[in-house]
Amino acid sequence: MFKNLITESTAKSPWLFHINSGSCNGCDIELVAVLTPRYDAERFGFKLAGSPRHADIVVVSGPLTQQSLPRTLRAISQVPEPRCIVTIGSCPQSGNVFKGSYSVMAPLSKYVHVDVAIAGCTPKPEAIMDGLVQATEILKEKRKAWLEAKKNGLKDGPKAETEQEVPAAEDIPASGEEVQQ
Amino acid sequence: MDLPFVREAVKNLFSRSSCDMYPLKPSEAAEQYRGRIEYDPTKCINCHFCERVCAGGAISVVEVPVEEGTQITRTFDLSTCTFCNTCADFCNTHAIKLTKDYHMIGLKEGDLLVSGTFVKVAKKKPVPPPAEAKPEEKAAPAIKPRDDGKPVQDPSKCVYCGICAKKCLGEALTVDRKEKLWKLDEDKCVSCGTCEEVCPKKAIIM
Repeated sequence: MFKNLITESTAKSPWLFHINSGSCNGCDIELVAVLTPRYDAERFGFKLAGSPRHADIVVVSGPLTQQSLPRTLRAISQVPEPRCIVTIGSCPQSGNVFKGSYSVMAPLSKYVHVDVAIAGCTPKPEAIMDGLVQATEILKEKRKAWLEAKKNGLKDGPKAETEQEVPAAEDIPASGEEVQQ
Repeated sequence: MDLPFVREAVKNLFSRSSCDMYPLKPSEAAEQYRGRIEYDPTKCINCHFCERVCAGGAISVVEVPVEEGTQITRTFDLSTCTFCNTCADFCNTHAIKLTKDYHMIGLKEGDLLVSGTFVKVAKKKPVPPPAEAKPEEKAAPAIKPRDDGKPVQDPSKCVYCGICAKKCLGEALTVDRKEKLWKLDEDKCVSCGTCEEVCPKKAIIM
């Protein structure tokens, strides 16, 4: 009984964990603006969590510098399944104007599956809100699949095609150019 | 006993909420907001200037030869774009526009691409038929730079985009796309070389 109550209520309050992987702070400020009284994303139950282990949605901003990439991936791997990965701005999707730099490991989709990508440099708070609402929808479906898999006796949940395992920090080559999919 | 903020609390109970209530109430972006790119392939003349000025390399072109000429597909990758408006500024035919639309959310690949396709009709028919005359013709109008250091136009390369006329500091150039006219006012020209530098087709020789 309690389990049902917990799953139902967690669907209504997805907590965010924000990772800045070398962002210029523009996207970070917009994400914080989303939580201010004017936009008030807490209406949808969003709340910034202090630890990745408490989060449902991971929000990544920044072009994934060489230093921050292993840390970012480690933080993402600590978020319990089912999780939803959201990128804010152009940087985590392509590297933006830093593309081609020796220290930028840009597309996050090379390492993990990105569920929602919010474009803009920086996106408006309204756009971020739209993206996060989309992410909750995806999260709901993922959770459903997860629960069903657990009922069927699969402990690790469903292995969807889109689901990728987060590579360990040691496995990542030093330069972004060498990564092959 | 003094109860602080009681008045404030009561006032706030009955005042309007400070929240914008965004998804319920649609909000429009500010004046001159630069959002989703709008590309009009019917206006484009394929001068490649947008790609040259794009800092992030967000614009890509695929050119496929077809019967009538060349099929050109220009793709704008919104996930690489910085929305700096430089491509739209440099577009001489106003084929690129950055709209106020900020709803740019990609759930799958290809969601964040804006592209347009058009067929550029091959130029003039009289050139191909005389097969023998070809080498001669090529040799004859080989354009030589002028002795006085003023620009010369190569009509075979020029697309009459007008960028040289726009950039000319002394307003010495007149370009008319419809009339296929390229005219130099020799008195006004100071031989600065700007036109040669900006020409995307390298049709100006100095």
